[in-house]
Amino acid sequence: MFVTKKAINRRAILKGLGAALSLPLLDSMIPAFAEASNAPVRLAWFYLPNGIDMRNWTPPAEGALPAELPNILAPFSAIRNDVTVISNLTANWGRPLQVGAGDHGRALAAYMTGVEVYRTAGADLKLTTSADQIAARANGHLTTLPSLEIGLEEARQTGNCDNGYSCAYTYNVSWKTETQPLPPISDPKNLFERLFGSDIAESPAAHQRRLAMRESILDQVMGDTHKLESTLGPSDRRKLDEYLTSVREIEVQVEKASKSTTVIDPGMDKPFGVPSAYADYFRLMTDMLVVAFKADITRISTFMIGREGSTRAYPEIGVADGHHPLTHHMGNMDMLEKVREINVHHAAAMAAFVQKLKDTKEGDSNLLDNSLIVYGSGLSDGNVHTHDQLPTLLCGRGQGYINPGRHIIYQRETPVANLFATMLDRVGVRPEHVGDSTGELAGLTLQS
Amino acid sequence: MQAPRNQGPSPIGIVYNTSMARPDAALALAAMYPMEGNRESHMGSVCVVGGGFDTAVFCDIIAKTYTFGATNGNQALATGLAIENGATDTPMVKAAVAKNYPRTLKRPQDTSAPVEVLRNGVIFNATSLVILSGPATYLAKALDPLGAKDLYKDRVKRLVIVDAGTPYKDAAALRRIVAEWPTPIFFCPKEVGDALRFPGADLDKDFAWSTSTGSPVVDAYKAYKPMPYDAPLYDLAATHYAVHPDSGFFELSSAGTLNIADDGAMKFAPGGGGNVKSIGIVPAKKAELLAALVTAATEKPVVPAPRAFGRGASGRGAFGFSGRGGGRGVLPALPPNVGK
Repeated sequence: MFVTKKAINRRAILKGLGAALSLPLLDSMIPAFAEASNAPVRLAWFYLPNGIDMRNWTPPAEGALPAELPNILAPFSAIRNDVTVISNLTANWGRPLQVGAGDHGRALAAYMTGVEVYRTAGADLKLTTSADQIAARANGHLTTLPSLEIGLEEARQTGNCDNGYSCAYTYNVSWKTETQPLPPISDPKNLFERLFGSDIAESPAAHQRRLAMRESILDQVMGDTHKLESTLGPSDRRKLDEYLTSVREIEVQVEKASKSTTVIDPGMDKPFGVPSAYADYFRLMTDMLVVAFKADITRISTFMIGREGSTRAYPEIGVADGHHPLTHHMGNMDMLEKVREINVHHAAAMAAFVQKLKDTKEGDSNLLDNSLIVYGSGLSDGNVHTHDQLPTLLCGRGQGYINPGRHIIYQRETPVANLFATMLDRVGVRPEHVGDSTGELAGLTLQS
Repeated sequence: MQAPRNQGPSPIGIVYNTSMARPDAALALAAMYPMEGNRESHMGSVCVVGGGFDTAVFCDIIAKTYTFGATNGNQALATGLAIENGATDTPMVKAAVAKNYPRTLKRPQDTSAPVEVLRNGVIFNATSLVILSGPATYLAKALDPLGAKDLYKDRVKRLVIVDAGTPYKDAAALRRIVAEWPTPIFFCPKEVGDALRFPGADLDKDFAWSTSTGSPVVDAYKAYKPMPYDAPLYDLAATHYAVHPDSGFFELSSAGTLNIADDGAMKFAPGGGGNVKSIGIVPAKKAELLAALVTAATEKPVVPAPRAFGRGASGRGAFGFSGRGGGRGVLPALPPNVGK
């Protein structure tokens, strides 16, 4: 480790006109002879819409994950010792209970809030603060952005999207308060601007001029970059160069996507500037999340792989039908096979993201080891809308908190909120209630 | 709490916290399923506290026997089990579990978590009742989750605490229930169950319908102690009161206090500012009540039926008040898989 006489502030940023670029964790930020990494633990929730083909998800036995994972989880085989498959968790308030139809609306809305979803298609929404926002409320002041909400479908906030449930319920997984959803950012350009665009005052005219000139953000902060480089050792200079290169690569991708006019599906709203292929879109957005985590712009994120009830088609893998209609296969094996293909497609993209976190060094560790990331859904069987035995994959170790590489089966009806309470505990957040949680998950952490 | 969309009357849900260690508990559970078929009540959830895995399997076997494996969409709750060190299974349940009855529970994780299944059993129904016959440990914990007390206050009509003479473990939890439970509490004292005894000599005759398929209830009854004996009907009597408080078979004390000794022994005393009412039998109705209980506990399984089918011509349920043989909505024949 390169040791400097004086540590750089962990929250130092490179500033320029209309731009502010956070820095990754550099050796120079770690005090000399520090005993342990001071890297923070990141939390993220990736929400899968429409459930999963559970026959091809659940490992056959409890215990160490086998080299050969079930088909949908197979993309995680190379990193199976970094993930934990958790079975039998329930999102009870997604169930029909006394209310009836509307499973997709409830599935998403109840997933991270753990409370009854008030049925309305109007403005009188009623839910509660979601787990990520409980964490953001407690720890958000530690980073530039308290949390980051990302999604791969443009969010609608009004209208009736599912049997009397507002679109706000089917499009938003993050809720700041019981009435205020946090819409995910689906436009790559907007996400880029959110991360690097500026918390520095810039007039609209200057902003437009900068965009019109297609000036790289790296050009904006060039002055600060040169100053910083002159203070760094060789190792940190290399890290900074790698980081700036990755930012530039994202910038180029965003620019390229913004020129794309490809239509994904005539039946789907596709914002300009979005890559047409799901995998490209997912990679671009998650690349930015990696940078956001690496530079400690935020430590908390949600990521909507699709809205609940998503009808997205995946022509790039030969699935021209919409996802949601396919999940109501009623036992039709052809439709079920297409659902499985979509599930595998999603998993492959997720596994690549998790691998990238693992490949991203941070101090003596890596980003994945310092993260707890849920990949899951509020529905298991999308055909009949079951809200128990949910598909749940926990990625990362939370900095030595989790002992991964296992399949753990809990008793049925165990709230998925118990997992979220366990995650919040890792970052020191211990509220009185996390939705309908009844406690933390025993046996998941190394301490329990 | 959001109002149910279907405002029509629906059967009250039963949440049964049981140690399932006595034949009266098995008979009570056996009565609850025909009651569902007759739309007198609905199975909310069953949670075993104080028994081991085989005890949960026993409850599961009874459910399978009486519902033919039918489930209600995704609203079927697996039998709950408090997994605790030292929990043991009685010879009574082991006798039935050892036989080849159909079951869904293969491993402890197939059971439901105890706090959750007690709470969710209430959530699943527009109205519920809770029968506490076993340690109150998890029912007390079920007061803690977000909004739980409001939920119970809104949906639970009554809590009936059963005294079978054997003190429950965890006196502190029981005291908390008496102090904090947000709905009316009724105490079914030991004397009630002692006064109502199942005619053990008639067991095989009463369960004659199960001769070819076998009955886990009969197996359990016979394994509990040497036959013939007349089992006191503690849980079954409490169940009858809980579902039909206006049957005319029972009388209530004025409000009083339920004192819990450190060993869990319960004693009711009138007055004292308490919020508990004690249940007693109307003397003139004792024989009729016993007949109704025996009828309910020995009734042939009924396939859960839609409302239009549920009641017989007389409109009477499993707890037919006219005694044995009262009109009931029983299907004429059992499906072929019963008992296999």
